[in-house]
Amino acid sequence: MNALTSGRSGWSRGLQTVLTPAPRIGPKRRLLGSAAALALWLAAWAGATVLDHHVDLANQAMLFVIASVVASIWLSAPAAFAFALACTLSFNWGFVPPRGSLGVDLERHAVLLMAMLIVSWLIAGLVSRLRAQAATARDAARWAARLQAVGEALRDSADPLQQAEPVAQALSELGGAPAALMLLRDELPQADQADAVWQHGTLDADERAGLWLCLRQSQAFGPGTGRHGEQPAWYLPLRSRGASYGAALVRLAEPEHAADGTRARAQALCDLIGVALQRAVLARQTESARALAQTQGVRNALLASISHDYRTPLAVILGAASSLQSQGDRLSSTQRERLAGQIVDEVEQLSRMTDNTLQLARLDAPGVTLRLDWESAEEIVGTALAHARRHQGERRIRARLEPGLPLLRCDAMLLSQLLDNLIDNAMKYSDGPVELVVRQQNPLPGEIGDAQIVLAVRDRGAGVAPAERSKVFEVFQRGDGAATARGAGVGLAVCRAIARAHGGELKLRPRAHGGTSFELWLPVLPMPQEEGT
Amino acid sequence: MIRVLLVEDDRDLRTTLRDGLALEGYEVSTAASLSEGLALWTHARPAPDLVLLDLGLPDGDGETLLATLRKRDAVPVLVISARQADGQKIRLLDAGADDYLVKPFSIGELLARLRVALRHRGTALKPALTHYEADALVVDLAAHRVSLRDEPVHLTPTEFKLLARLVRSAGQVVTHRQLLADVWGEEFTEHTHYLRLYMGQLRAKLEADPADPQRLLTEPGVGYRLSEPAA
Repeated sequence: MNALTSGRSGWSRGLQTVLTPAPRIGPKRRLLGSAAALALWLAAWAGATVLDHHVDLANQAMLFVIASVVASIWLSAPAAFAFALACTLSFNWGFVPPRGSLGVDLERHAVLLMAMLIVSWLIAGLVSRLRAQAATARDAARWAARLQAVGEALRDSADPLQQAEPVAQALSELGGAPAALMLLRDELPQADQADAVWQHGTLDADERAGLWLCLRQSQAFGPGTGRHGEQPAWYLPLRSRGASYGAALVRLAEPEHAADGTRARAQALCDLIGVALQRAVLARQTESARALAQTQGVRNALLASISHDYRTPLAVILGAASSLQSQGDRLSSTQRERLAGQIVDEVEQLSRMTDNTLQLARLDAPGVTLRLDWESAEEIVGTALAHARRHQGERRIRARLEPGLPLLRCDAMLLSQLLDNLIDNAMKYSDGPVELVVRQQNPLPGEIGDAQIVLAVRDRGAGVAPAERSKVFEVFQRGDGAATARGAGVGLAVCRAIARAHGGELKLRPRAHGGTSFELWLPVLPMPQEEGT
Repeated sequence: MIRVLLVEDDRDLRTTLRDGLALEGYEVSTAASLSEGLALWTHARPAPDLVLLDLGLPDGDGETLLATLRKRDAVPVLVISARQADGQKIRLLDAGADDYLVKPFSIGELLARLRVALRHRGTALKPALTHYEADALVVDLAAHRVSLRDEPVHLTPTEFKLLARLVRSAGQVVTHRQLLADVWGEEFTEHTHYLRLYMGQLRAKLEADPADPQRLLTEPGVGYRLSEPAA
């Protein structure tokens, strides 16, 4: 859980860094650039002074052209043009005769100055255009990375609502003002209900109505969209295949934010979250369909159990009772007693199957609560033995308990029902002695885990074929030797449901020298502290 | 003759139970609803010695009748219920029902519970049961003596109090809450683990096989029952 949370926050952090705007050129950098340009100009001036009278004036001019071209690499376009002009004028003033003035004596000098200025400006213009293109490419790459990060965060997040914050932040950046999101919780409702959506950011009534309209029509409104261009904001649908799953309000701080390229970016971001929302809705629908199928499965199993397991005892009861009813006076007292005994036995069997079926249905329902208490294994075993005696009337069952067992945290009624079923099962499928063994299993040295209590019901019957071992706990399964034994259809399934409701497990283990051991493994929980005994 | 008031809305079950009880020599009056039961109870002279009460009645829940009966009289009440919810069993027993039977039940089971309830009839008026004897176990509450197969058994004061409480209701189920309140005190009614420990000690001293008790019986999730005394 912790790892998961930290992982997610790691994601969000990653997203934050991508979405943070690139630093604009600050005043400090601008000052540094100006200083460097000044240094270049001084160098050109110094070079021209050194070379004065040694070389031609045109060569000196080259030094100033180089200075202005180099400076244009980092200066903004207007600054580069101004710097080129300053270089040309200062060259004219310092070196072109008459020196110390901006006047020009010779015509060819005027041509030289013009050429110098034009070349400097041309190069400054080209450099600045190149730089703008590079900046656009960088911006596009950064945006692509940002979209990818949002997409990945949405894909990795179980709940897209959690990712609304970074998306809203990115949209706020694009518009230059706080953006707001409205996300559908589930299907689109018939009417505009506030509780059907999840809202991020503040909205007034008009904006909310606009977002609902945008959501229902799946179309963008606002400047440049051709619909409601007078609005000071874009209303963008969060689109996915075929429908929209929300809408975003991108408020535009200045009219220049309303560029088509910016809107395309905002729409791409909106569609990312739209797809994520659709995926979440589909996942929820899949989940509920699966739950429905499971309920249906349990219901079918119960119906199958009722139609099969209940018919036989009912047939026996009807047969015996109708015989007593119509032939009673012609039957011997022994026959009458036998028929009555059959009725009693079958009714007890039916009663137990009903309890099991009801219990299984109860434990399969979501949110089942157990009546947990501290119980002694000895008592639960004792109750099960007493029940077995009363129903089976025989003494081939024995109990063996390890001394000093801790108390169990369990629902005594359910655990009794579990043991009753296991004993009943063992009696049915075997003829030899049945053992009820309770022991504590401590983790082996070096093994991780807690101590467990094992309640085992062991028989010396035919055993369960390996292929059937995984199936015996499913509703309505029974062993091959079951032609005469009946009613185990729900029994083991309810046992496993009871074991799992207690955080334990029911296991089947074949025994050495034949037979089966059904084992309930329950975790040992710490006892409450003793006081005042 | 012992008079039994049977309140049960199902006609077939009512007839079967009435005939079964009549065969054992009880005088049975029957009611099919809550109001009829209350009317019979109020006007029948002499008053019934025991009430057999079904819970799901057409005009209300039998629990309300139980409350009315308990307000006026100490008549034994045996509850018959189709509901398996164990929380309800405990509530009924704590509300003063003497015992409960969950449908379906056999007539033999009903007669046994009936006998136990009748034996305890009027214990509130007469001096409480102070002597218990069954299967070589003798408990004399007045003399503070317990013996098993003529050998004295030494019990700690708490063990003795617990056994004494069960002896006073021998044959009847006593809920965890009732035992904890009477032996340890009202503030300990949630400490069921005390009961498990002391019951284990008692069984170790009084039962041949504590894992297969014949005297101190467990009613899972509800309470304990001391087996019926001989005699």
